[in-house]
Amino acid sequence: MSQPWNRLSRRQLLKGLGGASALPLLGAMPSLAIGGQHAGHVVVVGGGFGGATAAKYLKRANPAIKVTLVEPAEVFYTCPFSNLFLGGLRDMRSIAHNYDELRQRYGVDVIHALAEDIDADAHKVRLSTGDTLRYDRLVLSPGVDMRWDALDGYDEAAAEKAPHAWKAGHQTTLLKQQLEAMEDGGTFIIVAPDNPYRCPPGPYERAGMVAHYFKEHKPNSKVLILDAKDNFSKQGLFTAGWQRLYGDRIEWVGLSNDGRVTRVDADNLEVETEFGTRHRADVLNVIPPQKAGWIADRAGVTDSSGWVPVKPDTFESQQVSDIYVVGDATVAAPMPKSGFCANAQAKVVAAAIASSLEQQPAPTAYWANTCYSLVGPNYGISVAGVYRVTDGAIAEVPGAGGVSPADAPDTVRALEAEYAVGWYNAICQDTWGTQV
Amino acid sequence: MSHSYRIKTALSRRKVLQHGAAGLGLILLSPFAWASEAWQQLDAAKQILNGATPITQGLTLDLPHVSEDGSAVPLGIQFNGDLADDDYLTDIHLFAAGNPQPEIATFRLNELSRYPDIATRVRLNETQHVVAIAKSHQGQTFAVSQEVRITVSGCLMRSEDSQTEPLTNPRVSVNQQVAAGDSLEVRTLINHPMETGLREDSSGERLPRHIIEQFTVRLGDEVAFEAELHQSISANPYLRFHLTPHQSGELVFEWQDDQDNQARHTSELSVS
Ligand SMILES: Cc1cc2nc3c(=O)[nH]c(=O)nc-3n(C[C@H](O)[C@H](O)[C@H](O)COP(=O)(O)OP(=O)(O)OC[C@H]3O[C@@H](n4cnc5c(N)ncnc54)[C@H](O)[C@@H]3O)c2cc1C
Repeated sequence: MSQPWNRLSRRQLLKGLGGASALPLLGAMPSLAIGGQHAGHVVVVGGGFGGATAAKYLKRANPAIKVTLVEPAEVFYTCPFSNLFLGGLRDMRSIAHNYDELRQRYGVDVIHALAEDIDADAHKVRLSTGDTLRYDRLVLSPGVDMRWDALDGYDEAAAEKAPHAWKAGHQTTLLKQQLEAMEDGGTFIIVAPDNPYRCPPGPYERAGMVAHYFKEHKPNSKVLILDAKDNFSKQGLFTAGWQRLYGDRIEWVGLSNDGRVTRVDADNLEVETEFGTRHRADVLNVIPPQKAGWIADRAGVTDSSGWVPVKPDTFESQQVSDIYVVGDATVAAPMPKSGFCANAQAKVVAAAIASSLEQQPAPTAYWANTCYSLVGPNYGISVAGVYRVTDGAIAEVPGAGGVSPADAPDTVRALEAEYAVGWYNAICQDTWGTQV
Repeated sequence: MSHSYRIKTALSRRKVLQHGAAGLGLILLSPFAWASEAWQQLDAAKQILNGATPITQGLTLDLPHVSEDGSAVPLGIQFNGDLADDDYLTDIHLFAAGNPQPEIATFRLNELSRYPDIATRVRLNETQHVVAIAKSHQGQTFAVSQEVRITVSGCLMRSEDSQTEPLTNPRVSVNQQVAAGDSLEVRTLINHPMETGLREDSSGERLPRHIIEQFTVRLGDEVAFEAELHQSISANPYLRFHLTPHQSGELVFEWQDDQDNQARHTSELSVS
């Protein structure tokens, strides 16, 4: 997006000031600078894939917009490629990003704090520092929170014994330590949730990475996936890849064979399924059902599903005006909850907000997504989709995406593994730009 | 992340309500307008209603607004409506209004299953309304409907090749002890392809219909709960329901498919 139209439309806005119709709008946005220093204040909550991208692209759309990014962590560890860390292919530092570029190159005001509450009527965000920020537009990209009440026995304390590792950082290193401490011959159990949840292929990529680690270091150990679904993302490709690389080392039990776990005993590393089968693990990885990050509740943008319904064209909340929500927290199906989608949605939001601050209509939105998964270090598979708004809802463009071929030679899998690394580097560059 | 930051309470929700006052009116109105149409437009539902105007309070459907996998959408149905003391629901009919064959299931209730709280999984071909109609012993009718949006995502692409042996692995989860008059939750699962008769195999050959048609639960000699299942029930039928048994006995579960094959499971129940 280039500058000229911004100036043009700001001039148009000024021209429109004399008209009565502009007055109520201005009343709602007192900090919109009219002859002042900035073109509106946008507060972005969350510095992950969605939030960091939104902050950067708002500045790229119009540097005169004041952008404040609120994120507690100074270092962001990506979930993408955290499975590779578990598999021993990477270290944590390689998935660590910071906010230097956003600050220094784009002039984003980055505040390391939590947003504690949102007053949508007053357009205010209260921070854990005690400060209050006033916004013209608010972007929320808080990611997911675990539903601690969904699985009997699985709460925050239990997650210290049976990690979810579904937010990267402490949880990831904890799971890795357990994996390394495990004796050969043990069983690594992954408890996988029903849809919708963050990263549909994630649990299955994890299974492959753990099996890879076992193959190299603990050859008598196995992976058992207990699933609350009967089918999963790229199932055929994963199953064939597992067979090819790991033989029978990975076992998957779906919903219809009593795979749905309903109770977790984290002290004894035991789980119980809906029909009473008990499984003992040596390392227990419980990925529980999820919901939008809790700050979305505080803003009043979630519905009874626990997720955030948004207007498909702009990702503005359907329930509260001037609040835009992107990433995993939203109901954007058929777009999956992926970092790629969060990044793409954030760009749409940045353009929509930049336009709306200039009283212009939002440009037409469309999105793309590719989810790469590694089955092994040189074995990549992918699924891609293109999306646009059709009949008032987000829809996949038929024939525009697809999955990796079922019968492909190893060279194709090896190439896709390389593309996965290329994708990771590119999206992190686009989202943050600087590494630790 | 701890939740102690959530200091402010219902304030913002109230504000949201104020905010969305205009929108809210719409939300409240439209389901009713639609709902009456949803079952009025469905022949199978009209037949059951037989001209009666159903009560729209009391019967509730529990369905996701959006589902990413139309092959197994979780569905719950409860009743907490008003009935005379000596009246009770005798049957509940479920329909997927937009499926080629809309019938999902019919549940036959009686003395032992008079407080229905039933869950299953259903197939929904596309975005559509699900309709439930209930009748009581004394002829009251109840109806409810809800729209479910189905978003088939390539990222969740389903592999259709999983082979299921019909009528294998019957599973039942039920407490073996219960106090008289208390509600007893029963969960059942069995493997069966529930082949609709509408699907083709990879060579384009039509796969013949093959489904479980009847599920019966008996306590001793008494029928406690019955379900007639149709094509719109998901493969590997799952049913959760409640019984209020008054005496001990053997619980017998029976599944019967359209090729006259059966599966059976029994468990002892002790009522104190
Ligand atoms: C194991 C695994 C592998 C994955 N692999 C891939 C992959 O290969 N490709 C892909 O595209 N996606 C992948 N994903 C999914 C991807 O991680 C998410 O979709 C993505 O992180 C979503 O971005 P987001 O902005 O919604 O949330 P996040 O990236 O989680 O960012 C949310 C941020 O908000 C902050 N926050 C939350 N609440 C507050 C608050 N109250 N105040 C201030 N800040 C707050 C958090 O600290 C966090 O930094 C994977 C996920 C997992 C778990």
